Amino acid sequence: MPEITFQPGGKSVVVPEGTLLLDAAAKAGILIDTPCGAQGRCGRCVVRVESGEVSHRENPHLSPKQLQEGWVLACVARIKNDLVLGVPPRKEREKVVEERAGTKTAASVQCDWPRYPALRQVFLELPPPSLDDAFTDVDRLQRVLSKEHSIERLYIELPLLQRLAQTLRQSKWQVTLTLDMYDRGGEARLIDIQPGKTEGPLFAIAVDIGTTNVVMDLVDIRSGRTIERVSTRNKQISRGEDVISRIVYSEKGGLAELQRLVVEAINDLLKELSQKHNFDTKQVYQMVTASNTTMTHLFLGLPPRSIREEPYVPTASRFPVVTAAQVGVNINPLASIYCLPAVAAYVGGDITSGVLASCLFKTDKLTLFMDVGTNGEIVLGTSEWMTTCACSAGPAFEGAGVRNGMRATTGAIEEVRINSKTLEPTLEVIGGVLPRGICGSGMITALAEMLVTGVIDRSGRIKAPYVQEVMGESSRVRRGDHGAEYVLAWAAESDSGQDIVLTEVDINNLIRTKAAIYAGMAVMARNLGINLTDIEEVLIGGAFGQHIDIEEAIQIGLLPDLPWERFKFLGNTSLWGAYNVLLSKHARDKVEEIAGKMTYMELITDNSFMNELMAAMFLPHTDIDQFPTVKAALEKVGAAKTS
Amino acid sequence: MPVVEIPVEKWNGQVHQVKLGGVGGRKELIVGGDNTLPFLKFEGTVPHRPAIAIEVLDYTPPNWAEPLVKAWGDVLKSPVAWAKKAAEYGANAIALRLRSAHPEEGNTGAEHAKRVVTDILGAVDLPVIVLGPEVAEKDNEVLVAASEAGRGQRLALGDCFDKNYRTIGATCLADGHVAIAKTPIDMNLAKQLNILLSDLGLTMDSILMDPTTGALGYGLEYTYSVMERLRITALMGDKMTAMPMICTVGEESWRQKESKASAGVPATWGDQEKRAIIWEKLTAMGLLNAGANIIVLRHPKTVEDVKVAINKLFA
Repeated sequence: MPEITFQPGGKSVVVPEGTLLLDAAAKAGILIDTPCGAQGRCGRCVVRVESGEVSHRENPHLSPKQLQEGWVLACVARIKNDLVLGVPPRKEREKVVEERAGTKTAASVQCDWPRYPALRQVFLELPPPSLDDAFTDVDRLQRVLSKEHSIERLYIELPLLQRLAQTLRQSKWQVTLTLDMYDRGGEARLIDIQPGKTEGPLFAIAVDIGTTNVVMDLVDIRSGRTIERVSTRNKQISRGEDVISRIVYSEKGGLAELQRLVVEAINDLLKELSQKHNFDTKQVYQMVTASNTTMTHLFLGLPPRSIREEPYVPTASRFPVVTAAQVGVNINPLASIYCLPAVAAYVGGDITSGVLASCLFKTDKLTLFMDVGTNGEIVLGTSEWMTTCACSAGPAFEGAGVRNGMRATTGAIEEVRINSKTLEPTLEVIGGVLPRGICGSGMITALAEMLVTGVIDRSGRIKAPYVQEVMGESSRVRRGDHGAEYVLAWAAESDSGQDIVLTEVDINNLIRTKAAIYAGMAVMARNLGINLTDIEEVLIGGAFGQHIDIEEAIQIGLLPDLPWERFKFLGNTSLWGAYNVLLSKHARDKVEEIAGKMTYMELITDNSFMNELMAAMFLPHTDIDQFPTVKAALEKVGAAKTS
Repeated sequence: MPVVEIPVEKWNGQVHQVKLGGVGGRKELIVGGDNTLPFLKFEGTVPHRPAIAIEVLDYTPPNWAEPLVKAWGDVLKSPVAWAKKAAEYGANAIALRLRSAHPEEGNTGAEHAKRVVTDILGAVDLPVIVLGPEVAEKDNEVLVAASEAGRGQRLALGDCFDKNYRTIGATCLADGHVAIAKTPIDMNLAKQLNILLSDLGLTMDSILMDPTTGALGYGLEYTYSVMERLRITALMGDKMTAMPMICTVGEESWRQKESKASAGVPATWGDQEKRAIIWEKLTAMGLLNAGANIIVLRHPKTVEDVKVAINKLFA
């Protein structure tokens, strides 16, 4: 019988040929974690064959290169002859898993914009006036600007004009101007004038105003670096969870309040940043926002009513540049605020921004870009043509409308594995702390794991008797206030000291959300005569945390069943596009071009959408043949899912 | 004159065959097996004609329309006598509705259900379909009892809704019955419930589907359209939409004011009895053409006329 030696440590056991590595390890007293219940689903039990042979069936969790290096899954590989096995510490093994899951991690995309920000600061030394040189203060400024910076025309607003004389004289004619450059660089608007030479960062902010969350990047224009990203709930959420209920609220006299609430959220973030980095928010000189059309309307105080009424025509899709004082944002009052252009009532600046950030506008490949937020927007196309649509997904993946849902921040469960034999969950929590709730990526894995292990059926109902039978007294399924629920973490295992659960209502919301997104894709592809399997690249932006498990997103039918390498997860593309616009006027020109180029497809008037939606409200889909890999996976674990 | 050939569609799929009864001297009823659209014998094979079940209630219906009361007379007081009479009128099956289990109609329980089912099975040799009061908890209670009472008799039990399919599906599995899956006029929901039931372990020949009947003037065209789509999808090869369909025509048709109203209606509405029977017949014929395999009727005259129509369509 073969002898198996485990390194480091050198323990060895003799076991029959054909024994699972996992069982051999257990016999040697070495415990290898198997969060999925030794089913070859999670890839966490990797070990390395240093010498000898094992039989190993292919497993998607290992790349060809990793197989070459000797990595195998202890729960699938069987012993053929004498073996020396390396069992590295857990950290190292996690790395192997992560490496394979590379496609899941947010990839940063660079479209190589030339650095050409609209915001500039120039230091000027002016010759003091004399009887021989009696130009006015303004003309004096203009003369030097023209000579040294080719700025032929400077616009100065009254408040700055009122203090110009004093500032120039007190600073001994040495001043720093903060300028908002106009189109071709020959004209500029004065935002601020400060005595002497200003050094240090030149602050601007990029803001993603989401229906559910507001996210802000503090950017130093001088270095081009993002100093910090902060986020908070959009305070409007107290007046309705989705855009439609906000619009309805605005119609009942709530427009001013909604405008104030979103500005408050932005100002809160500014305050947080200024305290942390010790600067005055008046030193922030520019703001670029990316948001859906309704959010842009509410932010600017434009009545959004017509967005929800046929024929769904907003006040504007391109918005004038305004100053901070006009909308109440607590940065320099004369700072300009540029809202990225929208395409239509339900495809906003967050999407044009996403197309900009994802470089979709210059690809040859047939590409699907999706932004999963409260509204799921989809763009399909190449550099030559782009079609877009919006589906009302709901805020579930952003953590709203789900009992213990939260944003992807410290304390959020971002991954769930369920042991298919014991039905016990293993959780990964952002920051490695006790969990406080569950974020979008966590919900996707939870749903997929519950499906595959038979905790829920394909309609998302919890199979209480089955779970009871397996788990007995300590069953994690119980009847709560909102029907059946599965306990992800007991009170003693959570940060709040309260159970963290996923209820049937939550599951239903998640299924509705993923169905809306998939149905949108399906309808758009069909209308264009394209098969979803023809898509060469899928770029995903939006509300998820730092990563999303592609395999499990396919298992629940959120993403089409395509080879994993076709997916790229881009993180918050809405914000990334806004950041690009802060740093390059070329990017700003491009986003205007993109907005004009996209063809909008209205799903509300499409007869087939409801049908596709109902079909998608099942796990993974009513037509499982659209998901061949999931079909195979479910058949494989069929034994586990009988009632 | 040139001879024009009738265009013939070649389908890949087939409606599943489902058998009721046929055990221990009970008559057998097989439905389904078609590989073409309803009645198109020139195109494919239609091995079994659509069947007619007559509805029998487990108590004396308190507010049935006058023409029904007149037609059935005293047998309405006894489910057993009623079922026997239904057999005489030519029913292919008895559809026993355990309506008295409804919380507002008497709230009878498992014992009562067991007794009525046993009595009916003893009194007639036709296949029996047992339907619950359509209140999830009560359905579970009385249908499980009915299932046990009819163990091995291959009854059809319904309705399984998405909320309670697991209890009723499991009892059908345990006692060898056919489950009826009812969904609210939607093709995807119908398919989903079929999938859930088969995931539970029920085979394709143990599921009937009820797409929810809309009577004439009350959504008939929706039902028609959904049934037609279900049938076409099945013929195109989708096994999860290929379950034979059962429609509760009598119940829906006699629920409407056109069938119930005897007074205070425009004179142009004509005679109530005639009108109500036409209502039931039109609903039945519409849905037979949409692909119904079993229709559940109430009035003996409707049964007679629909039978004639089916026979003519098969002539």
